[in-house]
Amino acid sequence: MNDIFFLFLNGLTVACIYGLVAVAVSITWSALGLLNLSYGFIFSFAGYGAWLAERHLWGEPIFVLFMGIAAGILGGVIVCLLIFIPVHDKPNFTLRGMIGTIAVSLIGGQVLLQFFGPKAKLLPEFFGYSKIKILDVVITADKIGIIFSSIIMLTLVVKWMKSSRRGLEIRAMMMNPHAAAIVGIGVRKTGLYVMAVTGAMTGLSAVLLSQTYYLSPFSGLTPMIKGVSIALMGGLGSVRGAVIAAIILGFNEALTTKFIGGRYVLMTQFLLIIIVLLIKPRGIAGILDKAREG
Amino acid sequence: MSKNKKTWKNPLANWGVKGGNYEVSTPPYKDPHEVWKKTISYKVPITKIGRFHYEYKSSNHGNKIWNRLRWWPTRRTILSTKGVYNRKSLKAEKIRRDKRPIFWFLGLLFLAIAPFILPEGNKTSLLTAGGIFGIYASINLCWTLIIGTAGIFSLATYAIVGISGFFTCWLSINLGLAWWTLPFIGMFIGLIFGIVIALPALRLDGFYYGLLTLGLNELCRVFITTSKAFGSASGGLFGADTFINQDWTPLTQTYASYYSAFFLLIAALFLFRFIDGKRLGRILKMAQEKKESFAEASGVDYKRARVTVFLISSIALGFIGGFYAAYYRGVAFNLFDFHTVIMGLAMITIGGIGRAEGAVVGTLIIVILDRVLVELGPMRYIIIGTLMMFTILFLRNGLFGIRKQFKEWRDKKKNEARSTRVERGGEMLPEQSTEVDDKGEVYRKRFDKMQREFLKTLICEDIINEHKNKPLGQHSEALERVLYYFRRAGMNDKYVVKCEEPFQKYKIMALSGVRGRSPRLVEDKIYETVNAAYHGLFLRRVQDLMEA
Repeated sequence: MNDIFFLFLNGLTVACIYGLVAVAVSITWSALGLLNLSYGFIFSFAGYGAWLAERHLWGEPIFVLFMGIAAGILGGVIVCLLIFIPVHDKPNFTLRGMIGTIAVSLIGGQVLLQFFGPKAKLLPEFFGYSKIKILDVVITADKIGIIFSSIIMLTLVVKWMKSSRRGLEIRAMMMNPHAAAIVGIGVRKTGLYVMAVTGAMTGLSAVLLSQTYYLSPFSGLTPMIKGVSIALMGGLGSVRGAVIAAIILGFNEALTTKFIGGRYVLMTQFLLIIIVLLIKPRGIAGILDKAREG
Repeated sequence: MSKNKKTWKNPLANWGVKGGNYEVSTPPYKDPHEVWKKTISYKVPITKIGRFHYEYKSSNHGNKIWNRLRWWPTRRTILSTKGVYNRKSLKAEKIRRDKRPIFWFLGLLFLAIAPFILPEGNKTSLLTAGGIFGIYASINLCWTLIIGTAGIFSLATYAIVGISGFFTCWLSINLGLAWWTLPFIGMFIGLIFGIVIALPALRLDGFYYGLLTLGLNELCRVFITTSKAFGSASGGLFGADTFINQDWTPLTQTYASYYSAFFLLIAALFLFRFIDGKRLGRILKMAQEKKESFAEASGVDYKRARVTVFLISSIALGFIGGFYAAYYRGVAFNLFDFHTVIMGLAMITIGGIGRAEGAVVGTLIIVILDRVLVELGPMRYIIIGTLMMFTILFLRNGLFGIRKQFKEWRDKKKNEARSTRVERGGEMLPEQSTEVDDKGEVYRKRFDKMQREFLKTLICEDIINEHKNKPLGQHSEALERVLYYFRRAGMNDKYVVKCEEPFQKYKIMALSGVRGRSPRLVEDKIYETVNAAYHGLFLRRVQDLMEA
């Protein structure tokens, strides 16, 4: 039992990180109609931003964390300026936007490689090395930190989207982009906000993941693909669906590792996703059925 | 008599004309040429109009127009030609409707003779790159069939090739299969894998499927790289049987591999042609995105056609996978990398999605950048990325969409210019008139407009009174000009007087202008004399003239 709980905690930790990216992908798709595949680049960009801040500005972990988030915001805004704003009103936008973000991640990854080299970098432990024991399970501080900071981030974003004027604009864009444009919600301005917020979430996931794993120019790829899969399973456009999907996939990861073997995690995961999508083609939530198609 | 009035004397008055009109007041003489001079005078900046035809047109002879070469044994002509008449000289000319076969022929001819004309120094490296180009272009042609023709946004194309390559390679190593069996076993594997990944495509649409296949690609990568059977230690699986004999000289080996890839490309082009250009392709062209329900209503089973195309492409991709294994004696893991997917997307995007020439030329550009200009280092990926960005930002459908996009842009600009131009030379705009073959019509409309403008200045109380007094017979010069114009008008909607009862009831009607279609009554007013009816008709015409 404890074993499973431990594994589930591991799964949850990973799910929190990937869930942030998933929610970012989800929000971008539903608000802007942009399938942003450059979150891998934003992820590495934010990680390197945090690393630079730690090296050259101040080594305080919390400062580094916030600098990572700031770098994520910057990365999101760069992608928005390069791809979303020029292409959003052109024909065939969805396909062109997606390929454009892939191009950005290709260029960005190579530029990062040029500047920082292929050697992996490590970020400091933000939450110290203390341990807590609950029900005979040792929980390290970084796990608690990861879970709590991602929940805080997610809560903040959801609260901001629910209660602020900008959030209202974004939700209006999600519901009906044309009507939102008619009542005076600027597509470009909203695009900038959305990309900044989702960039912040990706930035947080980057610094959280890079303290346990490593940071390299292309290390954002796996989180992005996992995030996309989670967003897909949860239903593109739904924060709640993404959260549920992240938890399910985290649990799946734990169970698969325990009973079948770590190698088969991706297989069971995709089997699960395909089964869910075959039953409900719009994912778990599927609330936006056809809303972004017209 | 005021200053601007003039008296007109009937020249027949001396002989006594029935009905009076010996002397009437009339407007002073106006020169009809003034309108002409005003019209042709230079007022606005004149821009050149019309189109220059760059197109080469060969001369033609009326008797030879049906004498065409055909592809034996079909009835298909080698080049689709069309006989036209030169607009200026009326000489018979022949134009090629579709010039793409010429470029395809020249391009493939170049590829066929490339080994003999490439510079000696780096022939081997160029031919190796040419082999890579042949294989990747074949893969991308199959991918174009999936994305463009079938409209299924799959990103797992390279995964099919990779899976087929790895399995055939494994079979070749462990069962000792000969090289020529590998592509055929690959076809089988491709079919099975294609069926597996086609299942979600039936339910999911568009980008959901794209993202799922992206994940599937990653799944294949992780599965293959972590399994010991597929050589997780050595970065790939090597040691398959190959058709390239190691006893040959290095140059012969290079030639053999180059030409085998070249023939693979030709085969892929034929496959593309026979799927995209034949029944399946036509069905799917009818069922475009957002027009599926129309296709369905017309009795087209587009879903079945899509899946069929997807499966055929998967079989072809499996064949290429087996070929790949036999070609390189094995398969490396990087076939599953996200990087490979990006490169593949770059290839088909830069050329233009959905067209064979786009897939091939895009592949050529990327392979040249990626494999030939190796000394650029990581810089070349930045160049490729920038090219992709450029294509995305400025081109609607890649390089081969430029022509259409430019034409649309030009027409848009032309229309803008047209709408800003207030000044008009005639009824027809200059740009329109270049597109009308009968130039006499242009001049007629222009003259007609000038004439109406001139006649409007002649209409006044005097001539109306004059007409009222005497509708028929000799009139003053001004009235006579107006009447001539009215009488010369076309038959459609021309007013005529209808006699209901002689000397008592007359009505005005309008002719239809079409033989066999009866005239219509334009008003119910009854005129008691024929002259009153003539005058009523005249007033109607004057009103029409002034309002036009």
